Amino acid sequence: MFKIFKLAARDYFYEWQISICHVLALASILAPLMILFGLKFGIIGKMVSRLVEEPLNRELRPVSSKHIEPDWFKEIKSRSDVSFIIPLKRNLAANIQLKSKTANKILNVELIPTAENDPLLPEINRAPKQIDEIILSKSAANKLSVKAGDRIDGSISRKYHNKTQRVHIPLRVLAVAESQSFNRDGAFCSLTLVEALENFRDGHAVPELGWSGKPNKLQNYYTGFRLFAKTINDVEPLKQWLNEQGIDVRTRAHEIAVVNRLDQNLTTVYWVVAFTSIIGYILSLGANLWANVDRKYKELCILRLTGFRTSEIICFPIIQAMITAGLGWFLAIVIFQFVAFTMTHFISEFTDTTDICRLLPSHYFLALTITTLAAFCAALLAGFRTIKGEPTDGLREL
Amino acid sequence: MVIHNLRIHQGDKIAFIGESGCGKSTLLDMLAFIAQPSYSEIFNFYLQHQSSINIAVEWQRKHLDPLSQLRKRYIGYVMQTGGLLPYLTVKENILLSREILDLPLEDEIVFQLINDLKLERHLKKSPAVLSIGERQRVAIARALSHKPKIVIADEPTASLDPYSAKVVMELFINLAEQFNITLIIASHDWQPLKSFGLHRYYLHTSYSENLTETSII
Repeated sequence: MFKIFKLAARDYFYEWQISICHVLALASILAPLMILFGLKFGIIGKMVSRLVEEPLNRELRPVSSKHIEPDWFKEIKSRSDVSFIIPLKRNLAANIQLKSKTANKILNVELIPTAENDPLLPEINRAPKQIDEIILSKSAANKLSVKAGDRIDGSISRKYHNKTQRVHIPLRVLAVAESQSFNRDGAFCSLTLVEALENFRDGHAVPELGWSGKPNKLQNYYTGFRLFAKTINDVEPLKQWLNEQGIDVRTRAHEIAVVNRLDQNLTTVYWVVAFTSIIGYILSLGANLWANVDRKYKELCILRLTGFRTSEIICFPIIQAMITAGLGWFLAIVIFQFVAFTMTHFISEFTDTTDICRLLPSHYFLALTITTLAAFCAALLAGFRTIKGEPTDGLREL
Repeated sequence: MVIHNLRIHQGDKIAFIGESGCGKSTLLDMLAFIAQPSYSEIFNFYLQHQSSINIAVEWQRKHLDPLSQLRKRYIGYVMQTGGLLPYLTVKENILLSREILDLPLEDEIVFQLINDLKLERHLKKSPAVLSIGERQRVAIARALSHKPKIVIADEPTASLDPYSAKVVMELFINLAEQFNITLIIASHDWQPLKSFGLHRYYLHTSYSENLTETSII
């Protein structure tokens, strides 16, 4: 077997022009496929997974306020499909006016209660706990031109006994949220601050901050929540469960369906393209090898005449196809690496991802396996062509 | 083509003479176990100390691998047009028949063949750059390099001019005699072979019922 391998290899490199054509033909199919999959695995995969992980798509908002007992939150917190929940005593969005020393404009921002692991603040690892700590959204921080650690002034006003009252509270910027999911002017703060401001606005006193008003009656139940499911696929079951509890929620079901469909369609497109190319490659390599065997029929007959066994002769084109597969695969990797490098170099200026087009070592190995199998299938046909009829037929022609 | 009775002994030198198309090549291919006849009764191949092998039976049983084993050990084949492998050098072509038998590549007979057939200059060349006469000498060297018991040659000098044909044939037959090789040559012309003391068989062609039939006895 080693001898036929040696002869097949000698012939392969002797006819290097034709061999180069075969290798190029293979690489020209394999390289674009690898790039396509590199993109799917790289930037497109990342974009899809970003859509899949997008917190806003995972959010379930209560439609109206409900009377909810604290125990209920313990129950929902223990569910495996819940990523984040924070109870709210009021269902309407609160506002606060902010003023910094570095900007002269007063900014009106949304006030959002937060806690540890808020999906809207993925890169923040410490949630505001003290009443004076806030995290600003990027746009709010820009407008106020402040950064983490700066001190700013917060104020709200109320009509109380037909007079407008305004109170101030010094605040500390804990961090600036980089997240794309929240692009309005907003401040994330502890639940205590939100409740204090709401109480003041409703005309109640807030003794901790020294604000006067009507005595505050204790409310030991909640009326709403901020809720995020673990994945977009958990949203629908979670919604069903909430409905059974009598809580109506709004979800982004339509967006979720679009994302899922996009993911499925892209995957289908990739496999259709890959399957068609592989079939095309098998056919083209098969046709080439078949023609090759016809062309070399005389030489193969000489080998039979010298005493090589039939099984060894069948191996002749198969060995050559394997060499083509190996070299074509290697060339495709070189092309892929070059294209991937160029893409990363040029596209990464417009995106924050560096892995525009990439494959894992196991993907390279998979490509080699598929290529080798395809080449083997194509060569097998040609291999049986080598032993058609009598070997002497091939010897008589000049 | 019908062969009623043909017996070839070790050391015989025989020539099949017949017009082209009469089936000389087919006959040689049958003797080399490559072409399988449509019908065969007895075809015994006698080995030196062992009993015979019935090739006809091996054919019927489709045992082609034992036949290629026999072929590579006992038979050398010289084709009409060289039949050299273009991707091997002259020397590698000569050594091919030794290599597949795992014989040592450097051997007295190889040196002698290269020397007698005047191939020293060409050893590292590709067959493509040789003249047809030189290629035929390489083909002869290859057919003899593993010291086969039988050498079969199909019009070995047909593609050469009369002068080189005579030189090559002389070298060929001398070498075969030296190594006591059974020589089976096919040719359309007896004239150039006359002086070499070959045993001559004519292939007679007769026509019957629209079929060409060649018989030899």
